Amino acid sequence: MKPPAFQYVAPATLEEALDARAEHADDCAVLAGGQSLMPLLNLRMAFPGTVIDLAGVGELAGIREWDGGVAIGAMTRQRTAEGDALIRDRAPLMSVALPNIGHAAIRNRGTVGGSIAHADPAAELPAVALALDAQLVAKRKGGERTIDAADFFAGFLTTALEPDELLVEVRLPAMAKGHGVAFHELARRHGDFALVGVAAAVALDGGRIADARLAFIGVGGAPVRAREAEKVLVGAEPGAELFAEAAETAKSELDPAGDSHASAEYRRRVAGVLAQRALAEATR
Amino acid sequence: MSGVAPAQRFVGQSVRRVEDRRILTGRGRYIDDMQLPKMLHAVFVRSSVAHGRIVSVDVDAARSMPGVVAVLTALELEGQAYPLSIQPDVPNVERPVFTALASDKVRYVGDPIAVVVAEGRYAAEDARDAIVVDYDPLEAVASIEHAENPERPNLFDDIPSNLLYSEHREFGDVEAAFEGARVVKLTMRPQRVAHVPMECRGGIADYNSGSGDLIYYATTQSPHGLKLGLSGVLAQPAEQVRVITPDVGGAFGQKAGLQREDVALCVASRMLGRPVKWVEDRVENMTSASHARSEILEISAAVDDDGTIRGLDVTMRLDVGAYPVLPFPPSFLGPIVRTMMTGPYHIPALRWANTVYATNKASYGTYRGPWAIETLAREALVDRIARELGLDPLDVRRRNVYTVEEQPTEMVTGPTIEGIRASEALERAAELAGERDFRAAQAKAREEGRLIGLGYSSYIEPAPGPPNLFPSMESGLPPERAYARLEIDGHLTVTTAQAPHGQGHETTLAQVAATEMGIPLEHVRVIHGDTQLTPFSVIGTGGSRAATMASGAALLATRSVKEKVLEIAGHIMEISPSDLEIVDATVRPKGDPAGGMPLANVAGAAYFAAPPGEDAGLRSSSVMHEPPGGWSGGTHACQVEIDPQTGVVEITRYLVVEDCGELINPAIVEGQIRGGIAQGVGIALLENALYDEEANFLAGTFMDYLVPTVMEVPRIEIEHLEGDALHEVNYRGVGEGGTIAAPPAVLNAVADALGGVPITTLPMTPERVLELIDG
Amino acid sequence: MSVEVTLTVNGVQRSATVEPRRTLADFLREDLELTGTHLGCEHGVCGACTVTVNGASARSCLMLAVQANGADVTTIEGLLEADGSFGVLQQACADSHAFQCGFCTPGFLMAATELLAENPKPTEDDVREAISGNLCRCTGYESIVTAVMLAAERGA
Repeated sequence: MKPPAFQYVAPATLEEALDARAEHADDCAVLAGGQSLMPLLNLRMAFPGTVIDLAGVGELAGIREWDGGVAIGAMTRQRTAEGDALIRDRAPLMSVALPNIGHAAIRNRGTVGGSIAHADPAAELPAVALALDAQLVAKRKGGERTIDAADFFAGFLTTALEPDELLVEVRLPAMAKGHGVAFHELARRHGDFALVGVAAAVALDGGRIADARLAFIGVGGAPVRAREAEKVLVGAEPGAELFAEAAETAKSELDPAGDSHASAEYRRRVAGVLAQRALAEATR
Repeated sequence: MSGVAPAQRFVGQSVRRVEDRRILTGRGRYIDDMQLPKMLHAVFVRSSVAHGRIVSVDVDAARSMPGVVAVLTALELEGQAYPLSIQPDVPNVERPVFTALASDKVRYVGDPIAVVVAEGRYAAEDARDAIVVDYDPLEAVASIEHAENPERPNLFDDIPSNLLYSEHREFGDVEAAFEGARVVKLTMRPQRVAHVPMECRGGIADYNSGSGDLIYYATTQSPHGLKLGLSGVLAQPAEQVRVITPDVGGAFGQKAGLQREDVALCVASRMLGRPVKWVEDRVENMTSASHARSEILEISAAVDDDGTIRGLDVTMRLDVGAYPVLPFPPSFLGPIVRTMMTGPYHIPALRWANTVYATNKASYGTYRGPWAIETLAREALVDRIARELGLDPLDVRRRNVYTVEEQPTEMVTGPTIEGIRASEALERAAELAGERDFRAAQAKAREEGRLIGLGYSSYIEPAPGPPNLFPSMESGLPPERAYARLEIDGHLTVTTAQAPHGQGHETTLAQVAATEMGIPLEHVRVIHGDTQLTPFSVIGTGGSRAATMASGAALLATRSVKEKVLEIAGHIMEISPSDLEIVDATVRPKGDPAGGMPLANVAGAAYFAAPPGEDAGLRSSSVMHEPPGGWSGGTHACQVEIDPQTGVVEITRYLVVEDCGELINPAIVEGQIRGGIAQGVGIALLENALYDEEANFLAGTFMDYLVPTVMEVPRIEIEHLEGDALHEVNYRGVGEGGTIAAPPAVLNAVADALGGVPITTLPMTPERVLELIDG
Repeated sequence: MSVEVTLTVNGVQRSATVEPRRTLADFLREDLELTGTHLGCEHGVCGACTVTVNGASARSCLMLAVQANGADVTTIEGLLEADGSFGVLQQACADSHAFQCGFCTPGFLMAATELLAENPKPTEDDVREAISGNLCRCTGYESIVTAVMLAAERGA
């Protein structure tokens, strides 16, 4: 179980990285933390002609304040982000979601941008990006654009990134100060990819819900934002009955698939259960 | 440790393991750690289809790739190795004949078709990917139901159906037992599971074309069994086959016997005249090595209203996959399950039927506690009887379990029951579990909408079983041998037929030998895993036999050396040997701490002067035959809490009360028990070697086959009863009890939490549990 | 194509020229002959190949050797004291009968090494979390948890 042969490119600057991306656009894999790419290589499920290793591009790692929210460089390690005070302050949903990713050794290597660009439908960070209306900054040789998270996740392991583009930064707009968050997932074992999971962020104002975000993982080819359920929540007083109603609405927005670990029906049902629990925690 | 330890009884102490010095420093040597000069690397091309005829295997491109030395298919193996089959003397069993590499047909996903041999592993994998196999697919036989369907194709063209074996037996008066009795029925159909040693299989074949000697370095639990198999299949004289076993990273039954890859590797080395290494990767291991369980057991129990079980009527259907794991015939499991079926209960009648089928799946390989289906089904049955009769499951066990007073007695299937403390273990487990308090807590929890449950399972484990156990199964327990040799410095070398892979025999056998010899523990070295050095055993390590058989053999061999030492010392010291003792490595007159001479001096005298009593060095060999008794056993109790909304099961408490006689090394015993239970918990809740209806394998990675982590295995409380000695060697095995008893304990706990719903299959996934909650 | 990889392993600078596809695990085991690091699954689940890279645990099967260029890597071979005696964690493992077959051992030791460096007084839950990415098929884990707690108590 060894990787197939490939050309290896290790750019030292973003400019070099974008040049390499452009040059090898039709047949390359981007190596960020490698925690998803390396298993695919070892299992020989991917045969890239060229691997572009971004580890040397120092400008891609880092966490900074951005427009009241926080911007996270794509190559920021998940373990670094997990312990970061600015992220905890500006995007606490990210902070509570991160420990659910694999195990310490995985998060030490895995990157925030890598997980989002890989777009595994059972991964945690794509749902966080979706829930927080992240702006995903993509660069190509000579160009830059910002993609709304809502437009980014196109399907199973598929994103809106073009073959010559790199995800360089994840910008998380601020929610109201003091909003509540929760991330609940159900995995067969601790640290496994979730069968189903939910990211919830809720801001209250005067005892009523002013802003509600609900995004699910493990319920289809891409993470799903339950916008109808959010509508049920906004303007209402938090409570078990409301959450049950929102969960029912959310379930109708999901179209999960079944596999050998759980059926579609089970996933949908548990999505509702977890949504209620997450909403309760986020409004506690 | 400074100086020499005072004379002491090392048996019974949790002394530190001898093995740990190398294991904890990265100096263990496993098969993949070995490099031989000019060594080549092999990888196998395996079938991607479950059932089909091989139309062509195009290896031309692969043969010309960089670093590739050879690509061998069944064609190249012809004339190099005999076709493989089980021993011919097993009556009434179909004998599939096959080749190490598939020739005409492939019979499961993972069936080896070709082997690529290259200068490096990466190059070998590159070439493997360049080989194209063209198949003419056949309909798959993916289940026992498929195997029973005459419309489905046969796996083996020369065997008239996919039924390989059937037997019907009756013990006691079954008709009388069922006459007028209430009948309680249960069908148990557990999943297929995999052994999952952390080290996959592998070997290095090293044929010397000058001498004609073949050395096979193998990760195996039965080096002599493997040697025997290789010698026969390769037509290589026994004295020119040597199997060497380095450190082995777990086996659990999977590394027993002769594997087809072993044959292909040895042929490759013999053809190429260079060492050839193969290290199985994890996907291969999950897909191709072997699986176990997945029996279908249907039971009817004749019971009285008070819960007395009068008799059982049992049918077992077994799916053994495509190829038998040699040398075990496809019929091997039935007699073990049949004989153990009544377990620790006095059940006077048993009707037994067993059918065995070939399917397009990986081979059935003996797995830790191979007879486990009877423990699972019987313990679930006991709880079912209690539910249907409105009795307490503990009371049903009490009514049927063997009491001390009625022993010795015989199981209806033949083996003698003697020295088992099943009744005491049951009572103690119930006491420790807080049965009465738990029931009050359970009622209160139900009012709060919480689901908690408590379940038990009682078991006996032949470890190695009484002398009439194996005859009851129409086989024999091979004897166990050991050598002991006093070295010239007074230290002792013990050579065992065991092939340990985690069991700590380098430690436990040294404890037994040092205690017997009267020398410090550090003065004993245990040698194993080289057929040129070690005594013959067709089994090696397996079947929970080491505690009694290997310890006994080491004890007897050491004692025999000791007698020689005393004879020689008596001659030197002019004292009757019977008046001498060895204490703290000193031979001295009994009760005279000041007198005597160092053991090293006696050894030196013997080596240099060969006094009377010396016999080609101070060495002895011994044979251990099974003593009476031979059972381990006890009761497990498990508490669970179930999330009523998601179906997730959490084990909140787990305890064991068990008897395995005297403990040689309590920490090692408890490690075996806990490790066994961890596997049982995996079987109960997580693991599933799943095939689909077309016999495609769906659990080839560790993301799909779920081995329990530290988060899923609870703390395990253990209490030992240390039952009475029926024989001087009062040590009994504990390798399998944990794995067989845990699944029914967890199952009964889950069923109890859900108000006694029948549970008939494993694993109890959250989804399945939620279905049970829904009803 | 091939690349030169130079790194520090257990305090010693080592280098070798390898294909870029060579994993760090194979580099350590084959090129540097440090076979104490084991390969149990090669897809990042079992944790047997765990080493520390600049102090942080990493699956060496999920890293290319070239990614460790310039890094400071510690393997199980690096845990002995200078005088050749067991380190505190190793001694605690021996005293607790932490392991059986020894195959998963390197990964557990390196994961626990990282934990104890970051959190010298972990709770049992901390220990379980820290080793939850490592599979052991022999022990049922309890002895390993006990050993790590003991090492912490002794001041690993």
